[in-house]
Amino acid sequence: MIRHVLTLMWNRRRANALLILEIFLAFLVLFAVGTIGTSLWQNYREPLGFRYDNVWQVNYSPGTQPKAEALGTLQQVLARLRATPGVLGVAVTMANTPFSFNDSRTAIDFAERPDGPKRPISNINSYAVGPELRDVVGLEVTAGRWFDQRDAVAGAHPPLVIDEQMQRAMYPAGESALGKLLTLNDKQQWRIVGVVRAYRTDGELKEPLPAIFGPLSPADTLFLPQSLLVRVQPGSGAVLEKRVTDDIRRIGPDWTSTVRTLSEMHESQFKQVITKPLLLSVMSVFLLINVALGLFGVLWLAISARRSELGVRRAMGAPAGAIARLIVGETLALTTFGLVLGLLVAVQFPLLGVFRERTSVYLTAMGLAASGLYLLAAGCALYPSRLAAGIQPAVALREE
Amino acid sequence: MSLPTPSEPPVIRLANIEKVYQTKTIETVALSEVNLTINRGEFVSVMGPSGCGKSTLLSLMGLLDEPSSGTIEIDGRPVTTYSDKELAGLRNHKIGFVFQSYHLINDLSVRDNVELPLLYRPGVGGAERRRRALAALDQVGLNARTGHFPAQLSGGQRQRVAIARALAGAPEIILADEPTGNLDSVMGEEIMTLLLGLNRDQGTTLVMVTHDEQQALKTQRLIRFFDGRQVA
Repeated sequence: MIRHVLTLMWNRRRANALLILEIFLAFLVLFAVGTIGTSLWQNYREPLGFRYDNVWQVNYSPGTQPKAEALGTLQQVLARLRATPGVLGVAVTMANTPFSFNDSRTAIDFAERPDGPKRPISNINSYAVGPELRDVVGLEVTAGRWFDQRDAVAGAHPPLVIDEQMQRAMYPAGESALGKLLTLNDKQQWRIVGVVRAYRTDGELKEPLPAIFGPLSPADTLFLPQSLLVRVQPGSGAVLEKRVTDDIRRIGPDWTSTVRTLSEMHESQFKQVITKPLLLSVMSVFLLINVALGLFGVLWLAISARRSELGVRRAMGAPAGAIARLIVGETLALTTFGLVLGLLVAVQFPLLGVFRERTSVYLTAMGLAASGLYLLAAGCALYPSRLAAGIQPAVALREE
Repeated sequence: MSLPTPSEPPVIRLANIEKVYQTKTIETVALSEVNLTINRGEFVSVMGPSGCGKSTLLSLMGLLDEPSSGTIEIDGRPVTTYSDKELAGLRNHKIGFVFQSYHLINDLSVRDNVELPLLYRPGVGGAERRRRALAALDQVGLNARTGHFPAQLSGGQRQRVAIARALAGAPEIILADEPTGNLDSVMGEEIMTLLLGLNRDQGTTLVMVTHDEQQALKTQRLIRFFDGRQVA
């Protein structure tokens, strides 16, 4: 029967070309939505790697104050904040704080062995952070250690902490990166002292990228940190916020500062990232409704046009159930033709590495899109198939 | 030709059949008080003017329709005792249909059309279907046209495909509704020869509705209908 249905639909492919095209286009849209949705979902399931509740981001600008003076002012600000009741910890960081849409990316050519071949590791999130960051945002050290006094050894390689994603990117076979030297773009060699679970400042919906951390010590005069991350006691609110900004202004009269909670920033960032996929999903729902109506209408019309054929089939001994199965089967065969065309296009994405998306995401999206269309097609065929099964052969044959 | 033994029930028996088509406003009596017996191996022709109920009679005999009242028996068993699935099985195994307008499926090749009844017969695989379809096509002299589509055939060839389709399932009964009605006299004669041969050589029971007196006279029994009633 399957061969019969496929033969029939193949012979009718010209008549059904528009419907096949419609299914093909619907598949591509579903595949796109599925890819985005699956990617977001897979990203969401990965650990964020830090806690953002009761953490504030303090951004400041030293105005016209020279950098050397601003570094001194910052030390005073840090001392004041750490002494402020309600503040549990303060860490300095560059502008790429969580959920801020700021990033600092780097790429390296990495060789697992000194004389081995090099391969690129790109899109590495690079963080310059104060050692207090681990406690402020609750980073989880899974191997080695975080920055501490041991790093202050003169002449030693500066310490570097990486995240697990970076560890996997460097040594896919599972070899530990601890103690290894890593040459970054500044040609300096850094010694890897620790591995943290993750620090996904781009948020849980964005693709997890490898991360590296360099220390920013109070004695560091090369960079002026641009932000502070402050862990506060639960329930802290406007009073503490005003005190923080007032203290900063008092210490550095030219300084301006703003305070935002990471929770607010997270919510805002989450909404912003999810908006486009949501809009696309809504549009695809409308498209699917269109496809469903089209399919349903065409099937309904086809049943009317094929009454005589269905009557003949009944006369030849087809039970009502076989007629219903024939209609559903034909619809699924038609869907398969559209899907095969769609899959031919979709499979190019992982093969050609379009959009740098993971192959598993593409494969899941193909599966979801195909299942969705099969379900849609079967759903649309159910009622027309019942109509077809109910055709009285004597009546249908007399109508010819 | 196999003749019925005295104890054998008739292959088809209609008793007190009445068929009424009813709409909201009109009630049309298509058949009334029809009592008819078709014995195994008979070739019976049914004649009558248009609208006298011949095709309705054939639909009832072929289990395509139900009478408004009366009893239809196949091999001595009333068909009211059969479920829809059993009736479909009975049509598939026992009855072959030949229609005036062929009723071939245009999107299927000649061979696929002929395989159609076997498609609904459980246990008959693809290879067996093909073998039987080709044998049936050979029987009607169309084995060179198996890959053609109905639109590529003449009327006579289409009717022969329809007969091959009826033959493929090796039915005991063939119900032919004006099988030569759309054909010229030469083609009609060919088809008639084919049907007579089936009856004579294979003992197939045939009931043929026709308007052609000459052809009807070639059959073993002629039944005449008028205004829904059997008149001879």
